[in-house]
Amino acid sequence: MLTHVDDRFESADAEAEHRTASLHREFGGPLRRHVRGLTGNDLRWTEDVVREAIGKAGRDPARRHWEPGLLWAWLVTEARRLVRDGCRRDGVHAQETAADGADRALSAIVVSAALRDLSEEHREVIEQTYLRGRTISEAAEILGIPPGTVKSRLYYGIKALRALLADKGVAG
Amino acid sequence: MHEGVAAYVLGVLDEDEHEAFERHLDTCASCQAELKELAETPDLLDELKFLPAASEDDPPMPMPR
Repeated sequence: MLTHVDDRFESADAEAEHRTASLHREFGGPLRRHVRGLTGNDLRWTEDVVREAIGKAGRDPARRHWEPGLLWAWLVTEARRLVRDGCRRDGVHAQETAADGADRALSAIVVSAALRDLSEEHREVIEQTYLRGRTISEAAEILGIPPGTVKSRLYYGIKALRALLADKGVAG
Repeated sequence: MHEGVAAYVLGVLDEDEHEAFERHLDTCASCQAELKELAETPDLLDELKFLPAASEDDPPMPMPR
């Protein structure tokens, strides 16, 4: 009976490994390029983040039937979280890359203007969470409002920001 | 639970909430659709790092210390 159970575990492991390898083939290249932008082109850090994100997706049976667009969205989200966790843990900034300076400055101005067009409540929660590298509960404490309110305002704030940026012709 | 998708995409949920939201995401089609829609939005906020000149009025630097 024990052998039977062991077999099942072994085949689950093999399946996860197979799945991980296939995710590497499908998403490895684009994800590596994306993450290099987040780590400031730190190749070793990028490699660790890519391996961890794809490994997690490969091990999770719930992601097995997700379509590629959803998997990609999940992978970039997970990779970003891993990079930010690394920043928090090690107290480092990712180096900014110098590429596309003028274009980037232009989009920065557009995004900054869109943020200013948001309501005070919406702008404030985006600033106090993502832009300052704080969690919902840390921001809630600073703002003196319940975490649920921060979460909800963040949701509507991000939606509003996207709508403003879409009006200005910025995708994303 | 559904409103948590923005906090999830931005990576600002606490660890336990992050885990809980991921389990929710496994089966919630509307949050899956919103994740796809919002996944690139943090990249736009990251552009703020490239503001040419910082003044008192400008938003703070996006990356945590």
